[in-house]
Amino acid sequence: MKAFTYFVLTLIILAVVGGFVFAKSKDYSPNSNVVANNGGEAQKVVIGMKNYNYYPNTIKVKAGQPVSITLDESVTGCLRSFNIRDLGVSAISRTPDQTIDFTPTKKGTFRFACSMGMGTGTIIVE
Amino acid sequence: MTFKNFVKELSGKDVEGEIIKSVFISVITSLILLGVLYFLILKNVENLIPKYGFYLLFAVLSYAVIISSMRQVRAYKNFACMSGMMIGMTIGMIAGFLPGFFIGATNGMFYGSVFGMGVGILFGIWNGKCCGVMGVMEGTMAGFMGGLMGAMTSVMMINDNVKAAGVIVFIISGFILFGLNYMIYHETRETKRQITEDQFLTIILSFILTILTVWIMVFGPRSVLFQ
Repeated sequence: MKAFTYFVLTLIILAVVGGFVFAKSKDYSPNSNVVANNGGEAQKVVIGMKNYNYYPNTIKVKAGQPVSITLDESVTGCLRSFNIRDLGVSAISRTPDQTIDFTPTKKGTFRFACSMGMGTGTIIVE
Repeated sequence: MTFKNFVKELSGKDVEGEIIKSVFISVITSLILLGVLYFLILKNVENLIPKYGFYLLFAVLSYAVIISSMRQVRAYKNFACMSGMMIGMTIGMIAGFLPGFFIGATNGMFYGSVFGMGVGILFGIWNGKCCGVMGVMEGTMAGFMGGLMGAMTSVMMINDNVKAAGVIVFIISGFILFGLNYMIYHETRETKRQITEDQFLTIILSFILTILTVWIMVFGPRSVLFQ
């Protein structure tokens, strides 16, 4: 076979496999277990920073009720970018006034971390 | 000796004419292996394709372009110091960066770095030795840096369009390797091919790298952010 034929065949195979992967990935959304804030009473959590990590780094909240997380003024650097991957929460809180609001609907124990994975902790949804 | 001649050679019967064929064989080997693994083991893994499909596909493509460039280097065997250092550095860096990036995106910075550095340093030394110790050192350093940088980049972008970044990084790496192919063609016009080999090494390298990547991504250890 000529090089051009190999080239075209490679492109066709990649288009088919890539299309398959893309189609399968379309419905997957890590945010699907989070609903919008329903305006109910929020569970307020204040997190600070100690020894280059979040403090406290284990927090407990109730499922189905809005959660409002405040990163106080001791939290600096990349730790102000707060993520709970399994709950689809990803937010930057530049000042303590910018709270991180979400409503967990799934019970369980999830890890939270800054965007670089340097500061970590656990959120327990009961 | 122009770029036009090189493009013409890509469909010729010499070393450069085998580059596209090597990419094709590597991609086919890896995809067949992925298909077999899927029906044997991976189909039971929850959300396999949404979680790992993109990264596996691009890892497979990365190995294909790296392995085909390695084949071109092996065919000529010996290079002058300047060219050999460039070869060791380019292949070491790309072979470290791309696997580091894709493993880093699924397993975290530590495991992405270790895997990226391992592949980058190994391939950097392997190709850099075409000019002796200078190329070996250059390949080692480039593999070391590429592995760390790839994993670090993907982890830092994990919440910021990491998949789009993966496509961009792959396109740029492919362009750099294409440039390397042209440089090798340019530098070896007075040289005859030293080694003639079949595609066995392409197949075996694609097989090993794909198996390792699948194992690490799907079943391997991961950093705390990815647990």
